[in-house]
Amino acid sequence: MMTATLTGPPARPGRRHRGPGLLAHQIWYEQLSFWRNPQSAIFTFVFPVVFVTVIGALLGGGGRSSYFGGLSALQYYVPTIAALSVLGSCYGQLTVALALRRQNGILKRVRATPLPAWAYFAGLLAHCVLVSFVDVALIGAVGRLYGVPFPSNWFAIGVTLLLAAACFCGLGVGVASVIRNADAAPAVAQLVLFPLLFISGTYMPIHSQLLNRVAGWLPVRPFNEALLGPLALHEGPDWKHLAVVAAWGCAGTVVGVWRFRWTPRSE
Amino acid sequence: MAYAIEVTGLRKSYGSVRAVRDVGFTVRSGEIVALLGPNGAGKTTTLEILEGFRDRDGGFTEVLGLDPGDRSSGRELRERTGLVLQDLAVEPYLTVRETIARAAGYYFAPRTTGEVIGLVGLAGQERRKVRALSGGQKRRLDLALGLIGAPELLFLDEPTTGFDVAARRDAWQVIRQLRSEGTTILLTTHNLAEAQALADRVVVLSAGAVVAEGAPDAVGGRDTAQARISFALPDGYGIDDLPVPARAGTGAVIVETSNTTRALLELTRWADQRGIVLAGLTVDQPTLEDAYLHLTTQGAPAGAPERTTR
Repeated sequence: MMTATLTGPPARPGRRHRGPGLLAHQIWYEQLSFWRNPQSAIFTFVFPVVFVTVIGALLGGGGRSSYFGGLSALQYYVPTIAALSVLGSCYGQLTVALALRRQNGILKRVRATPLPAWAYFAGLLAHCVLVSFVDVALIGAVGRLYGVPFPSNWFAIGVTLLLAAACFCGLGVGVASVIRNADAAPAVAQLVLFPLLFISGTYMPIHSQLLNRVAGWLPVRPFNEALLGPLALHEGPDWKHLAVVAAWGCAGTVVGVWRFRWTPRSE
Repeated sequence: MAYAIEVTGLRKSYGSVRAVRDVGFTVRSGEIVALLGPNGAGKTTTLEILEGFRDRDGGFTEVLGLDPGDRSSGRELRERTGLVLQDLAVEPYLTVRETIARAAGYYFAPRTTGEVIGLVGLAGQERRKVRALSGGQKRRLDLALGLIGAPELLFLDEPTTGFDVAARRDAWQVIRQLRSEGTTILLTTHNLAEAQALADRVVVLSAGAVVAEGAPDAVGGRDTAQARISFALPDGYGIDDLPVPARAGTGAVIVETSNTTRALLELTRWADQRGIVLAGLTVDQPTLEDAYLHLTTQGAPAGAPERTTR
């Protein structure tokens, strides 16, 4: 069986991709890994779509109301569920995937090659951003069925999604860096996220001044607000709220750079 | 001759456990060296320090002229070394060919995907998903990923664990072929026949220190040790009746001698004169396993850590 012979010391220098080529190489294989895994693909896309469909079926007929801050129910929920899907595909996906990959040695294998760390993470980031865009497009399409008009300011949506996805990836890497046990990763990630979603108005509008003020300094509510304008009201980018999201993204990235481990914990 | 690996006075502790106390050895370019030792002897820790996965507490290490503890030269080191470790894994949903092609894209001058697939014996499996491979096939894929970058130096951590006999012979053939092309190889193994078959030199670790080093045929004084002649004591005779000094073993008597020819001649003449048969007559030189067991049980201080440092 092992009949092939070596062709001697390789005389084929320069095959390694550089810069953009290496990045494209990395993104391609991240995409392959993702789409081949039926669970991750289905869970990532089906959950937000089912959610917005159910909400639409329950509340789709209602007009504008003061409960939803002067919006219709679907105008309120399309942005918050879009935000939720970005959280899931960036923060949620990365915390779990990185902790798991570290535990079973995939990250160690990556570290054993000359692939620079930046290229590995850039590949992951590009993948998460892409998934986020698909998710938001699906949610927008379902929202359209329930009478929420398609957004018109594509620049604002693009900038908001790109920035927020990058920031929640940064947070995901940060949290993955401090999780020691991969079995606990989904629980830890959700434990952090779930209360945050509630007080940030993802599931229902919050009318408490205090809660809104607190949530305003945390990453989720500013993201909801930043998506609301471009997605439901045809407005431009909401730089003020995006700045808060960006600050959290930077903080997560700093923790990630400082604490990230490639090897499984041995003791 | 240039050293591919040079280690002196290496130390590493985990909390109060001194996994590596004093390890020093060298590997010359183009050599196969086997690192032997019981679990917990410090093999894996030593390897991980040389591979750049762990920082050392003290001592000197140089791999291909670079310090593996120096982050700034890490990429160059990984470009020039290949790793086949036990706790490495790959994405389960990619095919064999995709997994290897992905890794090939990371190196400056890789082997071709097809060449490596043929070399490790995965031809015909290229389109199978990694998750559908058997344990032995996954190890072959690990080996392929270690070779794809055409490394000058290859680290093999128990490369044939889980292989059947034929697969092991194939893997040995690949390893010998790599050496003939000038690849330096540092391997660990619990299979002493493997060390005997492959290694130019073995380094025996026990309780975090080197207890012996040398060619597999000579390590632990094997080449100068006494041969053992054993046979069943004939009925009606006692040990004292034999013409050479002997002692009772389990189910046989054992003669230890440095002059095998002379002792055999005296024994067979003695038996022939009496018309008796020396049932089960065998002559053994001490095996690498004998030397290894002697070294690692004798060399370990009392209370040495009985734990694996993986």
